[in-house]
Amino acid sequence: MKKRLFKHYSKRDYKAFIYLMPWLIGLLVLQIYPIVSSLYYSFTDYRIGGTPVWVGLQNYIRLFTEDSEFTKALAVTLRYTVTTVPLKLALALAIAMFLNRNIKGINLIRTVYYIPSLFGGSVAISLLWRVMFQDNGVINAFLGVFGMDPISWLGDKRYALNVICLLEIWQFGSSMVMFLAALKQVPSSLYEAASIDGAGKFTKFRKITFPQITPIIFFTLIMQLITALQAYTSAQVITNGGPLKSTYLLGMKLYAEGFSYFRMGYASAISWIMFLIILIITLFLFATSKKWVHYEDEGDF
Amino acid sequence: MKKRITAMIAAAAMACSCFGMAASAEEQVTLRFAWWGGDDRLEATLAVIEAFEAENPNITIEAEYGSSDGYHDKLSTALAGGTAADIVQIDPETMPTYVEINPDYFLSFDEYGFDFSNFDEGFLRTQINGYYDGQQLGIPTGIAGPTLLVNQDLADAIGIDFSQDYDWDDLIEWGKQVREYDDSMYLLSANKSYITTFIFYNYAKQLTGKTLFDVESGELNITEDELTQCFAYIQSLYDNEVIAPASYSANYDGDNLQSDPNWIDGKYVATFAHVSTMNVMMAANEDANYSVGKLPVMADAKDNGWTANCPQIISVTSTCEHPEEAMLFLDYFFNNEESMSTLACTRSVPPTAKAREICEADGTLDSLMMEAADICSAYGGLTPDKYASSQEGKQIITDLVELVGYGEYTPEAAATDALNQLPRLVG
Repeated sequence: MKKRLFKHYSKRDYKAFIYLMPWLIGLLVLQIYPIVSSLYYSFTDYRIGGTPVWVGLQNYIRLFTEDSEFTKALAVTLRYTVTTVPLKLALALAIAMFLNRNIKGINLIRTVYYIPSLFGGSVAISLLWRVMFQDNGVINAFLGVFGMDPISWLGDKRYALNVICLLEIWQFGSSMVMFLAALKQVPSSLYEAASIDGAGKFTKFRKITFPQITPIIFFTLIMQLITALQAYTSAQVITNGGPLKSTYLLGMKLYAEGFSYFRMGYASAISWIMFLIILIITLFLFATSKKWVHYEDEGDF
Repeated sequence: MKKRITAMIAAAAMACSCFGMAASAEEQVTLRFAWWGGDDRLEATLAVIEAFEAENPNITIEAEYGSSDGYHDKLSTALAGGTAADIVQIDPETMPTYVEINPDYFLSFDEYGFDFSNFDEGFLRTQINGYYDGQQLGIPTGIAGPTLLVNQDLADAIGIDFSQDYDWDDLIEWGKQVREYDDSMYLLSANKSYITTFIFYNYAKQLTGKTLFDVESGELNITEDELTQCFAYIQSLYDNEVIAPASYSANYDGDNLQSDPNWIDGKYVATFAHVSTMNVMMAANEDANYSVGKLPVMADAKDNGWTANCPQIISVTSTCEHPEEAMLFLDYFFNNEESMSTLACTRSVPPTAKAREICEADGTLDSLMMEAADICSAYGGLTPDKYASSQEGKQIITDLVELVGYGEYTPEAAATDALNQLPRLVG
């Protein structure tokens, strides 16, 4: 039996395997091992540097029954995701449609719109955001020009999360580039035919543009959802989760439990809950995609 | 001829073996030294490293420096993974957690016969200064602690005297006096973190005469009623506008009070500060004339509360492959006169009397910093317990202080919540 198994592979196949080894080792050591070990740690009481002690489902039970901070952080994260993802995609699509034309200097304009995304969720840009939205910052100074009272953007729980969301939405460049590429792929003959039939701009968008770019919208939606659910940097730097935990994202809770309080077992449980949430949302989107995502090749690979 | 050749070979072999021994003694050693701090500390530390390397050409010290943000998160992971630097700077309030997790993370200086003759024994042999279970696992880098930094000209103009003994209620009255003088000014610059560190913990110690936890039993040393009193005092600071509203100070959380434009404009009479970083606050508004004041103590205090500590601990990790050389470097760092002069007050007031004398003689001793260290040393309050001073312990109290500050919690509700949350710190 064993012989037959190995007979399938020629010397050439083994050579290929050797070439794949660096990647395979990387996958096993840097991805599979951490995933499996974090699953194990999530069922243990494990402090960094200590010995893991098996506690079964205790970490998960505590998360949902005792730790009100977790449920609050989960709610904040979902609100952040629900706010940023649709607005970011809508803005990216609107700008992409605006830029999808042949006018003088269009490449320069496209580059300018992409610049915010180059900064990413970097610490530097988050610091700048914090200074801008402070009570004595430039935003309130601008509002003052119109006679408006200053707003405590970072100190009032009604506004703080919106400030964080705004930074994320502002970084719409990469989605915009994806949409722009998709728009370029829509055959112009479809628009010409629609024009002959007397279709207006909105009808063309609804009946031609949107269906044609749904695969890209679907892909971007999934990627942005995952990014939003894992967000950390901007909230950490701008508000440190405050005021009153109104910007305390799940990523921050995970980091604090693991690296500030040394409860790696508990932090691992949080990370698995995050993973499950992402998995469920992604599966749900895939399930609904059959109804609204249109592939030219019917989705077959 | 044969004999001559044999002798030559023997001589050559001996010579080789001698050279071999010399090479072993002069083996190239590289040590990693990690710390956090500002530019002054960086320059001084690099200068000491350079001078040490000149005297010990076989030892290279690789400097790993940066900001305090995330330093301990990185260090925790590195200690657990066995990849921490050979010599590390540690926050004295974080070190107990490390030692509790693994008592073998750090080498004992006593086992290597480190020369502590320049240190005061009473200062050195305390847990907050690196002494655990009869072993010196770290060396304090200086004398620090809490201080009250006063904008003296403004205090004089309003008629407030921080140089006298006073209690917490005086702060409330003075706060009102400041608002009457100018309603754009406040008595104290403070955010929720500073209120926790400087006000809550010391008020609680003075009220109960105990640390928040009994370290031996892990039991809370404070009752719900006493916790309520602590939170009620904090609420009265906000209600009487002794400090700026919580929504305002949220803009300058953590160690960011120096970036508050009102501090820069000289609109606060005073601020609580750490002795080791008070210069940062002074640098933010150089126009003011500063002094250091006494610290508030309640009339019938059971303990003075305020206590001196050290700003950082320096330890050698047990994964260090060249502990002798690491000890040699730290001996130079702490005991060499040139090094004492170079480091001066870059890590707060120097930890040894000899270093202080040298710095005073060469004019590098910061007299205001020295005065602040003397004032807080004189109180001799209880050292905070490891549970309350852990990051999680501080965070629990800071969150409750914030809820009280925003009026979301009454002092009673904060006390009840504290009693629910604090026990999880033990075990």
